[in-house]
Amino acid sequence: MGNSKFKGFPGRGSFRHGVHPPDNKSYSAGAAIEVMPSPEQVVLPLLQHIGAPCQPAVKAKQQVVVGDVVASAKAFVSAPVHASIAGKATKPGVVTLPTGRHLPAITIKADKDLPVTSTQEIWDSLKSYEWDFAEIKGFDPHDIASAVHGAGIVGLGGAAFPTHVKLMPDEKKVIHTMMVNGCECEPYLTPDYRIMLEIPEAIVAGAMLAARAVSAKQVIIGIEDNKPDAVEKMEAAIAKTKRTVSDADIRVAMVKTRYPQGSEKQLIKAVLDLEVPLGGLPSDVGVAMSNVGSMVAVANAVIRKVPLTHRVMSVTGGGIKNPKNIFVPIGISVSEVIEFCGGLKPEAARMISGGPMMGFAFSDMNTPITKGTSGITVLTRDELAGGLETSCVRCGRCVEACPMNLVPTRLAMASRYGNVPLAIQYNINACFECGCCTYACPANIKIVQLVRTGKAMVAASKQNEK
Amino acid sequence: MTIVTIGIAAGTMLVMAVIMSYILGWANVKFHVEVDPRVEAVNNALPGANCGGCGFIGCSDYAEAVVKDNAPVNKCPVGGAACAAEVAGIMGIEAGEALIFRPVVHCGATADEKKGRTDYFGEQKCAAATLVAGVQSCTFGCLGFGDCVAACKYDAIHVEKGLAVVDYEKCIGCGACVKACPRNIVTMSLFEEDRVPAVLCSNKDKGKDVTSVCDKGCIGCKACTRIDDMFVMDGDIAITVGDGYSAEKVENVDKAIEKCPNDCINYVGKTV
Repeated sequence: MGNSKFKGFPGRGSFRHGVHPPDNKSYSAGAAIEVMPSPEQVVLPLLQHIGAPCQPAVKAKQQVVVGDVVASAKAFVSAPVHASIAGKATKPGVVTLPTGRHLPAITIKADKDLPVTSTQEIWDSLKSYEWDFAEIKGFDPHDIASAVHGAGIVGLGGAAFPTHVKLMPDEKKVIHTMMVNGCECEPYLTPDYRIMLEIPEAIVAGAMLAARAVSAKQVIIGIEDNKPDAVEKMEAAIAKTKRTVSDADIRVAMVKTRYPQGSEKQLIKAVLDLEVPLGGLPSDVGVAMSNVGSMVAVANAVIRKVPLTHRVMSVTGGGIKNPKNIFVPIGISVSEVIEFCGGLKPEAARMISGGPMMGFAFSDMNTPITKGTSGITVLTRDELAGGLETSCVRCGRCVEACPMNLVPTRLAMASRYGNVPLAIQYNINACFECGCCTYACPANIKIVQLVRTGKAMVAASKQNEK
Repeated sequence: MTIVTIGIAAGTMLVMAVIMSYILGWANVKFHVEVDPRVEAVNNALPGANCGGCGFIGCSDYAEAVVKDNAPVNKCPVGGAACAAEVAGIMGIEAGEALIFRPVVHCGATADEKKGRTDYFGEQKCAAATLVAGVQSCTFGCLGFGDCVAACKYDAIHVEKGLAVVDYEKCIGCGACVKACPRNIVTMSLFEEDRVPAVLCSNKDKGKDVTSVCDKGCIGCKACTRIDDMFVMDGDIAITVGDGYSAEKVENVDKAIEKCPNDCINYVGKTV
């Protein structure tokens, strides 16, 4: 296959099925990360992750500075929320996120009397920080996990699963490999790519800390082969660690470019040739996986004691005047972010939180950027795949495209006609909504949307049984 | 083939038929199931709509439950009081009060009155659209894609201007629309009269958040609760008490309708 970089791993460097959508990353791939000025207010939803919602920890009109906890997490699978600007908190209001969740949110209004930490300072201090790799060996695994929990770190790739849950040392499930996900297979989006180019040392430091937390023997950083410069940068950063400071052996795995290579189950299959069982987690096969952005946050939290208050995101697509990668305070509104990138072009037609394959279309410009927002993609009418839906012709392209080996057309029709037992029989919950089936469907059937609806139906019917 | 062969075959069939008929006759006696004649009688008294509105699988299931498990005789929403009385007569008990329940759509805003309505090209079903944030700003209100219309077997609910409207002339109160609504805004309500007042909003948010998404939402001002105690607050939204209405309250209700700043209280029911 000519993939020389891939030698030395049990896997074949790819997975079965999947699709090759045009990646369109050129809009923002070349743009270095820019810093957003601090906004006048931020809106912090109390549930920005998968798991239990947070409880407000501030009173109305209470003054907070950057990094103060505004909502605390009582449950294990949950993550606290920190103030991303200095200012006065308000009573919780409500906000509707692009995912369709309607939840309480605390607004912080900037207060000029408070010491201002500008976003620029926060970014500069992160970028110029000299990571001491020798120090990492001195951290206790439990301290790492609790520091990660305290900093409110969640998966920054989009799903926003609390990271500390993955890094909690567990005697029952032995983790042998810490995998860092730098595939970024989603078209258009480039934040992970820019992070790998600009702050690779922070990723390596975070990965070594994460590996130490779970006592992993090796660290593998998975990157798609359409980002050779990122691979180079990461390898240079790894060389700096001299590989003697930690027990963990750190390597980069250059996997083949194919969507959805960045899905954890597909990446594990491609690199380690391990099959995560149906309904299982990577920890079931001894792997912990996290996104490169999350690794930076881990390094920040454990070594620099800085909680997750800012993130890197892309604002991209044909509908944006100047597509950019930007460093933003979490909770800033979409309208401000888009304005910073030159605003919308007249032909802009659809706004998506995330990328075009897995993202959520939304319309409210006041929607806040949350921890899980890896980008805002604005598509033009030309970029939108339109067309009337026609009947399923049983061509099987969705079956060929499905990386989970499901039968998407069956799931979609089971959902459309409310057949819950059939949906369960065909393992509807194994679908992670990558969108390959809908991309491949020649009849324009909205398969993923139907599957999402079907999942909600299955959940509702299980609720009724109780 | 000879006459003998045909004779043997015909004879065998004849003997077998006789034996089989005896077996059937014996089985009929041996495995006879005693059926309470009242089950049949109750079943005949029921309207036979098999709508499931009583909570049982169909009319015959309900009839059996009435006779064997002493289920209440006034459960049939289709038959109403007359049917309850007939069933009670068969069972030899008091009918009790046959309460009439009908669905009420707790949303009163047409597509124009809802804010943040956008073009939605996805699956044209409420169950799918409710998972998409951009369809309309209000996450509680009627989406108008008609899951309830598809569920109704009696053509008694329609979407008019993006809002589900019950046709109370045709509605038999089976409750299929209630189960179909993914946002749970259709509820079965007690109809003391042909027309009863209802709060036509389901938005549980605070006033400011409600006005930002809809012109006709309940802002929790409590004006109606001060006029009559049939209106009570449930958090930040007003609701009507289950059996609070009676014909004498017409004046108070008219006052409440007038007072409501966002016109979200109104009568529902048959047109008079």
